Amino acid sequence: MDTQAESTLTIQTLPSYEMRSYRRKVKSIAIWSISFAALTFVMFIILDILLSVISKGVPGLSYNLIATQTSGIAGGLQNAILGTLLLIALSALISAPLGILAGIYIALYAPKRFGAVIRFFSEVLAGIPSIVIGYFGYMVMVLQWGMGFSALAGGISLSIIILPYIVRTTDASFRQIPKSYLEGAIALGMTPLMAMRTVLLKLATPGILTGVLLAVSIALGETAPLIYTAGWSNFDPNLQLVKNPVAYLTYVVWTYLNEPYHSAHQLAYTAALLLVMIVLVLHVLVRMLQRGSSKHA
Amino acid sequence: MLNARTRSRIFQVAAGIAAVSPLLVLLFVAGVLFVDAWPAFKFQGFSFFTGITWNMGNMYASNPIVHNGVEGAPGATFGILPFIVGTLGSSVIAMLIAIPISLLSAFALVYKIPHRYARWISSAVELLAGIPSVVFGLWGMVVLAPIVANQIGPWLSHFGKVIPFLAGPVGSGFGLLTSGIVLAMMVIPIITATSRDLIAQVSKLPIEGAQALGMTTYESVRHITFPLVRRGVIGAIILGWGRALGETMAVLMVSGNATNYLPTNLYSPISTMASTVAALLDGALTDFSKLSIHALALIAVTLLIITMITNLLARLLVQLGRRDVGTEA
Amino acid sequence: MYGTINHVNHAIYIANQNHGGIRTLKNKFKKASLLTVSALIGASALGASVAMVPAFAKSRVAHRDTSVVKLQETGSTLLFPLFQLWVPAYKKVAPNVQITPSGTGSGTGIQQASDGTVQIGASDAYMSTAQLQTTPGILNIPLAISAQQVMYHIPGVSKKVHLKLTGNILAQIYTGKIRYWNDPQIVKLNKGVKLPHNAIVPIHRQDASGDTFLFTQFLTDTNANWSRTVQYGTSVSWPSVPGALGAQGNQGVVQTAVNTPNSVAYVGISWLDQGLQHGLGEALLQNKAGQFLLPNTTTIKSAASAMIGKTPKDERISLIYAPGKNSYPIINYEYAIVNQKQANVATANAVKKLLDWAISPSGGNKAVFMQKVHFLPLPASIQPLSKTQINKIHG
Repeated sequence: MDTQAESTLTIQTLPSYEMRSYRRKVKSIAIWSISFAALTFVMFIILDILLSVISKGVPGLSYNLIATQTSGIAGGLQNAILGTLLLIALSALISAPLGILAGIYIALYAPKRFGAVIRFFSEVLAGIPSIVIGYFGYMVMVLQWGMGFSALAGGISLSIIILPYIVRTTDASFRQIPKSYLEGAIALGMTPLMAMRTVLLKLATPGILTGVLLAVSIALGETAPLIYTAGWSNFDPNLQLVKNPVAYLTYVVWTYLNEPYHSAHQLAYTAALLLVMIVLVLHVLVRMLQRGSSKHA
Repeated sequence: MLNARTRSRIFQVAAGIAAVSPLLVLLFVAGVLFVDAWPAFKFQGFSFFTGITWNMGNMYASNPIVHNGVEGAPGATFGILPFIVGTLGSSVIAMLIAIPISLLSAFALVYKIPHRYARWISSAVELLAGIPSVVFGLWGMVVLAPIVANQIGPWLSHFGKVIPFLAGPVGSGFGLLTSGIVLAMMVIPIITATSRDLIAQVSKLPIEGAQALGMTTYESVRHITFPLVRRGVIGAIILGWGRALGETMAVLMVSGNATNYLPTNLYSPISTMASTVAALLDGALTDFSKLSIHALALIAVTLLIITMITNLLARLLVQLGRRDVGTEA
Repeated sequence: MYGTINHVNHAIYIANQNHGGIRTLKNKFKKASLLTVSALIGASALGASVAMVPAFAKSRVAHRDTSVVKLQETGSTLLFPLFQLWVPAYKKVAPNVQITPSGTGSGTGIQQASDGTVQIGASDAYMSTAQLQTTPGILNIPLAISAQQVMYHIPGVSKKVHLKLTGNILAQIYTGKIRYWNDPQIVKLNKGVKLPHNAIVPIHRQDASGDTFLFTQFLTDTNANWSRTVQYGTSVSWPSVPGALGAQGNQGVVQTAVNTPNSVAYVGISWLDQGLQHGLGEALLQNKAGQFLLPNTTTIKSAASAMIGKTPKDERISLIYAPGKNSYPIINYEYAIVNQKQANVATANAVKKLLDWAISPSGGNKAVFMQKVHFLPLPASIQPLSKTQINKIHG
């Protein structure tokens, strides 16, 4: 009884706006605290993923890893590392010229409506789940066109996946440049190509490069489109690009984790570590690229 | 030597041809899929989407059966409802986890973390976006599944009396909840990074003004920033959802690969559309009637249409969202 | 990887933020960063090519000696461990043949050998007549005899105890009619074993599998309901049992069973040791004569001798549920699925030589190999049949 009376009294004696402001402050603090907790949680997950990959992967690091090829459930990863590089190189070789040209066209030359249409379909292409590309690659390239499991079938599948990203980044890089630059250059008597090469390209290059690097890191991490196109080989890739399966790192993670052998698990962890390390390096490169070009802004 | 004008023209034409390439590739891929999928749709009709039995038929029987003019192995019937439920269920769980965490993180990053730390944290979040999906799958299998089976699951199942869907048995740790959590980890960086970019574009002046007038920081953000970024943030969320719908490998590694039944609780094994296509492709090709492969193509088409719609919606909203905060004309 | 999109847009935004105010187009920072990046890309490309050079050089050198032939083997995860043992041994026999074996499931073996993406498919299941019609010229060549056991993971039941199970009971478990380990039917057979009231988790193969083929044939032979509804095949439509798990390959089945208490699974015999080492139990299965047996040399041999006499010329025959007191109920031929017509003469010869070696008692059928995977060598009476089929392979 007493306490109730007292509390009624307190409420009455406190000016209502102060009470409300107190509650508002508590609410603000509470919500920001939850936000911090959320952010801490995200950082914790990132650390946990990195640390579990590192702690499980590091024991498998050795010179043999890069010097020998996989044999069954043991051996090294030379074939997978080289195969991954080959697949990435092929996909970049196919999609970078195509994507950059396409990006330049829709940013600079295309009639407004047409540019919008291409941008739209490019987005649609980017949204296709990678296993769908894998299905397409297997049914059409591997079986129908008779490429077999091969670097080329794998490389083309990857390039379909990364093409829209390169188009988009190139397009965006050029569109960031004020239109007046191009107009000015043309007014000075340059052809659109010369204007593009001498004036715009340099400005757009960091953006384009960033896009290509990110596209490469996407290609690097893909598995679903490769299982049915690149196949798997215990041997190093060679220059025969069709009917000759290639190894790649993500396959090792996905398949060897499923084997009840310690050596196989170790290979899977180490392959995962290598993938994460490469992604990390690419990530740092991209950061440097951004930092370098924005420092003086 | 060609003169400059001609060269410029040639370049322009070449670039124009290149520009059509995404469209051509898309049409080709979609065309192949639709042609491949058509016989299955003819065979099964709309029950394809509502049936729960996936049966490629008896491949050791010698005579195919004919239904609606399409040949199939005896007993063949294709229903993908469990895969649809698995796909939607796991992605919805992922979004339930990812949305609050991502949005709160994004606001904290912009408004509460000092700039030099925020840069590092954002960078780490973007790194998370670049990690290959098999690595998420590995983490899900090795680290997360045992935790779900032994800690999270048993704890959540206490609430089973209130919400029957949370009741046990918890099972092996491979299933709906684990898939959802793994997917959440994969979409958190997408939503966080996109939202953070949008929020960072909002001018700080009105917010500081509002605070000077006595609003708490939370209120100023809630009433000034949030309305401006809302559309873009919804776009970011749908973008993340599209990613969760189409993910194959990570889910294949932790889903438990259920067939022919719907999940009964939060821990039930599931299969998703994408993981089913990956897992059954070769087996389906051994069907002498070729109907199974058409059915897989139809799953791929269904998935394609769903992800296409979500993605386009998301991009539209992100675009509009950018316009709201004034970064893109 | 949609995630990187924002990343990209953001990056571009930053990368291009500076244009408005810049007068000089060539600025130091950009140049420096570009140089760094291209140098790094160049370096990594160089690194890759340097690393690749020895590989190419090697293959070119080998080309000069005797032309290198690459063979891909894929399919059965039951045969896979044997292939793993064979490959290093065969390297000494034919150094110029580079073999990549992979365990992907018999369905994949059948499929990829049929469409020519691999030279040798491995399968525990022979191909159906309908399948043969779609790919004429495909051969089913037995290389050895193997078996399949049923394994389980029941907490509290000692690994030394072998549970007695019948095909009839397994069929009811896999259709969800028997839900708990202490079901009266199981208890009746296993007096003295304390079985818990825990829900059984049946594990099946998700990929198309010869093991599924063998197991479902056994269930078809022992359970009338199963033979009417599910029937048999490399992939069947599994009856709806909530909680049932799918796994890829025998390796995946063993892993899943180890991770899942109260599970039951069918596992190819080449994975028996792995299963036992990880603490799984091995069931005594009831044969046609009503006896409960484990698979071992004696019981597999007994079953084989009862069945192989009927082997037809194309060698497609089921050896499941053999008569005889001592016959283990689930045994089979391990098949190499090979197209008669290979891409070229060199490949055809390499395949022939490898398969000849594989079925030879002094080659791949040697006891050292067979014992490690618990297989039986191809019986002497079957050897000539396989040999005749191998001889059909041409370039």
